[in-house]
Amino acid sequence: MNCGEFERVLPEFLEGSHTPEQQSHFESCSACANLLADLELISSEARLLLASDEPRPAVWDALESRLRDEGLIRLPQFVTSKESVSRRWRAAWLVPVAAALAIVAGVKLFHPAGAGDPAPIAKQHVSNPTVAAVKPVSHEDQVLLNTVAARVPAQRARYRADLDSANSFIQDAEQSIKDDPNDIYTQQMLINAYAQKQMLYDLAVDRSEQ
Amino acid sequence: MRNAVQTHRTTAAQFVIVLALAGIAYASGDVRKDLHFKVGKRPMITIDNPYGAVVVRAGAAHEVIVTAILHSDKVEVDQSQSHNRIEIISHLLSGADANTGAVQYEVLVPADTNLTVHSDNGRVHAEKLNGDLSLDGSNAAMEVVDCGGGHVHVKTLNGPVSLVNLHDGHIEVMSMGGDVVLNGVSGPLVNINSNSGKILYTGDFAGDGEYDFTSHTGDIEAIAPAYASIDVFARSNQGRVDSDFSLEPKHSSIYTRGGSALVGTMGKAASAVKLVSFSGKIHLKKRQN
Repeated sequence: MNCGEFERVLPEFLEGSHTPEQQSHFESCSACANLLADLELISSEARLLLASDEPRPAVWDALESRLRDEGLIRLPQFVTSKESVSRRWRAAWLVPVAAALAIVAGVKLFHPAGAGDPAPIAKQHVSNPTVAAVKPVSHEDQVLLNTVAARVPAQRARYRADLDSANSFIQDAEQSIKDDPNDIYTQQMLINAYAQKQMLYDLAVDRSEQ
Repeated sequence: MRNAVQTHRTTAAQFVIVLALAGIAYASGDVRKDLHFKVGKRPMITIDNPYGAVVVRAGAAHEVIVTAILHSDKVEVDQSQSHNRIEIISHLLSGADANTGAVQYEVLVPADTNLTVHSDNGRVHAEKLNGDLSLDGSNAAMEVVDCGGGHVHVKTLNGPVSLVNLHDGHIEVMSMGGDVVLNGVSGPLVNINSNSGKILYTGDFAGDGEYDFTSHTGDIEAIAPAYASIDVFARSNQGRVDSDFSLEPKHSSIYTRGGSALVGTMGKAASAVKLVSFSGKIHLKKRQN
């Protein structure tokens, strides 16, 4: 075994697994022995660094407050060009969510709930479409609302109301499809409802990218 | 001699008015910025303006003229041109709000421009254009007037939408709470998707097209002349459906059952008209004239 071959197996050797051939080279080659000693020293020092005391959260809070007082950092209000790239990536998750909404609409269309049921067709669904005052929101919607709220709190309330309206539309259309799985107009209504929700996500992404 | 004195007085008065307007603009903190671009055929122009009006009209060919009025130094106008593509962006600086971040745009573009505009709460107005238009915003009022031939896509959360005199276009509008008013709109495709906003159509459903109006809770009202040539399907799951017309009955389909649906034809049934709502009222009205 030469030094090059030994270096390639160094990680395993450090972890204690080695063959007699590797052990023989290690004992006979001072260069490789020194290299291994250096690596073990670095590894042990790194463990000591990890164990060092982390400042308490209060220290970070005080430091942040001091920097803000001196005008060196600011609370984010409107996105500047320097922030735009990071903001764009923070909001990038919304793009697949919006795409997922479109996919869900397609799945709902081709596999409507209760499809094939012998229930009477064209039965008119009767439910209350009025948006409830307080409704739980899904995790995805909550993250969207948080994204919007990072800009202007008033926009969050508006998006919340619009999300509720879109979700209510989806719920009503889904219920109608359960009542009448073959109703192509209700199927189209469901697609439109999902399109509205996708629009909300799209606009939130656009605004976040500013 | 008298005419010469009069001319001088008029000129002096105009000069004073210009000075006064400039003084008012200066005192109010407004800054005017003029931009000129040379473009080829069918240029692509994008304007992103969070706060403030964007008015775009057809002007001379191969030339784009932008006049921007900035309301404070909290906002800048960024511009870029790459061949036939132009981007104008109102760049909000730290501390900007709906007042200090506002920019008013007046833009003249070639009529065949493909235009994209985004505005949160300013008025967006596009006039006499025949390229593709894409307008979106939150509360911005959207107006498209005297356009035709291209695609018109409008998305709004709660801003009102007004489409007037649009012909031969593919028109798609989506609105959450904003009312959508269409006057003299025709095309191969007119698709309106609203949640709680009302849909009001006045026209003759021309163009052998498909007119699809859908809402969740918003009312739908369509006013057409007696000579309209349409194949109508109207249904509200929970609301009323009324018609002033005596439609020729069609073959009864599953969708006509129940008291809130209407199916029939008028004339040669050249255009398909679908009015569908979950709980909004639907009314097909006869135009009175």
